[in-house]
Amino acid sequence: MAAYVLRRLLWTVVLLAVVSFVTFVVFVQMPSADPALLRAGRNPTPEVVAAIREQFGLDQPWYVQYLKYLQQLVLHHDLGYSYQSNVSVGSEIVARLPVTLSLALGAVVIWLAVGIPIGIVSAVRRGRVSDRLLMVGALVGISAPAYWLGLVALYLLSKDIGVLPLFEGSGAYPTGGESLFTDPARVAPALVLPCLVLAASFAAIYARFVRASLSEVLAEDYIRTARAKGLRERTVVLKHGMRSTAVPVVTLLGLDLGILLGGAILVEIVFNVPGMGRLSYEAIQRADIPMIQGAVLLGGLVIILLNLVVDVVQALLDPRVRSAAT
Amino acid sequence: MSLNVGRVRAVRVRPAAALALAGAVAALAGCGGTSSDAPTEPLTDTPAKLERGVRGGAATLLSAADVDSLDPAIADYNVGMMVLQATQRTLYSFLPNDATTLVPDLAKGAPKISDDGRTVTVKIKSGVRFAPPVDREVTSRDVKYALERGFTKQVPSGYAAAYFGSIAGTPAKPNSGDLRDVSGIRTPDDRTLVLELTRPNAGLVSQALVKGITAPVPPEYARRFDRQNPSTYAQHVIATGPYMVEQDASGRVTGWSPGRELRLVRNPNWDPATDFRPAYLDRIEIAGGNTDSGVAARRALSGEGSICCDAGSPPIELLRSALQSTPDQVTLFPQRTANWVALNTTVRPLDNLNVRRALMAGVNRSALRLPRGGPLLGELATGYLPPGLQGYEEAGGAHQGANLDFNADPEGDAEVARRYMLAAKRDGLPIDEQGRYVGDDEILAVAANSEPDDKTAEAFQAEARKLGFDVTLRLVPREVVYTNFCSTPAKRVAVCFVAFGSDTPDPYSMLVLPFDGRSIRREGNLNISQLDDPGVNAAIDRAAALSVEEGRIDAWADVDEAILAQAPAIPYVWSKRALVASKDVQLVANRYSTMPDLSFTSIRK
Repeated sequence: MAAYVLRRLLWTVVLLAVVSFVTFVVFVQMPSADPALLRAGRNPTPEVVAAIREQFGLDQPWYVQYLKYLQQLVLHHDLGYSYQSNVSVGSEIVARLPVTLSLALGAVVIWLAVGIPIGIVSAVRRGRVSDRLLMVGALVGISAPAYWLGLVALYLLSKDIGVLPLFEGSGAYPTGGESLFTDPARVAPALVLPCLVLAASFAAIYARFVRASLSEVLAEDYIRTARAKGLRERTVVLKHGMRSTAVPVVTLLGLDLGILLGGAILVEIVFNVPGMGRLSYEAIQRADIPMIQGAVLLGGLVIILLNLVVDVVQALLDPRVRSAAT
Repeated sequence: MSLNVGRVRAVRVRPAAALALAGAVAALAGCGGTSSDAPTEPLTDTPAKLERGVRGGAATLLSAADVDSLDPAIADYNVGMMVLQATQRTLYSFLPNDATTLVPDLAKGAPKISDDGRTVTVKIKSGVRFAPPVDREVTSRDVKYALERGFTKQVPSGYAAAYFGSIAGTPAKPNSGDLRDVSGIRTPDDRTLVLELTRPNAGLVSQALVKGITAPVPPEYARRFDRQNPSTYAQHVIATGPYMVEQDASGRVTGWSPGRELRLVRNPNWDPATDFRPAYLDRIEIAGGNTDSGVAARRALSGEGSICCDAGSPPIELLRSALQSTPDQVTLFPQRTANWVALNTTVRPLDNLNVRRALMAGVNRSALRLPRGGPLLGELATGYLPPGLQGYEEAGGAHQGANLDFNADPEGDAEVARRYMLAAKRDGLPIDEQGRYVGDDEILAVAANSEPDDKTAEAFQAEARKLGFDVTLRLVPREVVYTNFCSTPAKRVAVCFVAFGSDTPDPYSMLVLPFDGRSIRREGNLNISQLDDPGVNAAIDRAAALSVEEGRIDAWADVDEAILAQAPAIPYVWSKRALVASKDVQLVANRYSTMPDLSFTSIRK
């Protein structure tokens, strides 16, 4: 198992190199706008634009820029400085990541707590009225875009602007970039609405996924055997049925969590949550290439590492996977 | 105390006319659906009365954008300018309710201009001190250093060369080298600054002394940051105004998280006896990321101690409702900005004067104004000089170019339009007998893909179709409208939607950059119509060479009419700006920055 993990970690380095190269090529060779012109302010003289190009190294060939970037990254673990604010990309990411982590973890707890029970009930009561009602609800959850749902939630429920006040602080994220880990009392209320909105569609997806997966498992011979042995239905479903269902759920969860940690862009924008999603969005808008690179690399790293974690957990849960891995 | 720097001589500087690169000034957000019975305010620039506030309390600005920089030589956009006005003492400034009269700030009295217009002498107040950790009195040498650093490659000030490039000894190639002594900036003593110019343009240089680059910078402290490229002085900026960005004992800024938050606290070394600002608030927070102006405005209106918005006005329906229910929470004022549809005079068929005149005559400008808030947020424009700018009245006020039949009716005159189309037919263009264009030239229009620009573009498309023109709309992200399309002549964009404002009360900046043929550039071009008419160029030269006493303002009014006669752009709205605030906020808007004036705003007790 250790050799397997080591092999995967080496691949992680290769994959990150590919991700950084592709990102660099996309944003440097096909920029949405000229970063020097965007930085130069109103009505700049050509000299000012040229000076900024020189400052950023944009006057050098792209491969020189990329090699310098890699050199800084590998030798000094330095992700560079923002073209817009001249702050360190690394420190900005360190400041933003806990915020996104708070949002993602809150949403995960909600969607697992809501989605899995709904999926189980639907699978057990498959075809009945309660199953149909729950699945229609899930369909609505999947169909409602997070952006729209977020705005509706804000207008209806946010403390400051809503007509149905929820409670103090909801919908207004502290501007200092506090996270659940640094100031839970201030951040937790502000996270309720964004987490609910973010969790809504995921809960629906998980409910449908668990229902489909568990339905299949419940039709297996070993489940029939368990029932024939006289086990309680709760034990059959939750112990024997859900153990098999848990493997694909864990896989899905790992991937979804990875994507979320890269930034839940729409929800972060609607609720003004200063996390990785908003950072990426603003960086792309301003052609802030070092910041984009940093955000993409982090997203890539998180997804790759979570994939690794998922594979290891899968191996622990399923002996067949374990033997294949080793 | 105020002074009027009215002495304006022959100039060849390029003042920083503020082409509102869509993101900031252009975005007078308004979401469709307006009606003509909306309550309107007279669009005059009469200075509002400044009410006294109560000292104490805290306020939060719900902001979409961040400061462009905390470095006084670089900050030039609205949020940056607002923070600059609260934290720095430039030589001259404006009272919040009057953006036409310069007021001495760090300076003591009016600048002295030599008879030959080549020397400007400014006396500096005593008693103005730098914030900690510098803790010493400001001298003229600090202003000299501030100006000199703006010409270095480490501090690429966007406007230093444009305004102050005529100072003797400034580098021929600005912003390309390290710091060096500029011989034309002299400091005979601690309280005197002398600017010696190579051209007789002291009038405009004096007006430019309001810019952030004239805020003092302590050289003994800033040099180590300015040696880095780019300079990191913005992260260690030292205040001289009533407020400072929160910082630690070493001077490192701790109160700024880019894109998220900026915290201003009182500057302990600020002496109110030296300043005209009352500085009522104890603490100010700028909360970034409020990109939805509707959400931010609602939050401000229903919350406490909040102000909205920095980019664009709140949605029109919200504003209308707020004006009905809580009018004292809304502040409306003219923005000194003109919006126009730039017609590229080098692209077929718009290279034909009669076609441009036909479009100008036929387009109903009310339709273009609707997405930008209708009459509530702007007056129908008939020329390029908006209210509040010198020359507005001389050019005819609300009826500029009224003797030009194609500009007489801003609501559109189909018959006049048809006449000009038939005249274009006689020029050989493919136009039918009804005066409709039947050619297959593609007319490419580029606009931002967000409101209100996209809706304005669609309205223009519909209006142009009435004359048979098939306008192809290309809607792109706001950030690239100018940089990638409209300001790059090689892209051959036929139609662009421009908002243009002025940094100075003088009409020079409003008319020269967008319409002087000699200002056309391959990149970063602001003469988007690419008008290069000898008559207009000559009229500009005539006006620029006159002093106010010699009839400069009338001459600029003539330039306005000469440009209108060439129909390079269809002016359609002179904009108003709206700010909203919580009930407990006594909001004072600054008409120069078009932002809340943080030094005059207060909390009602």
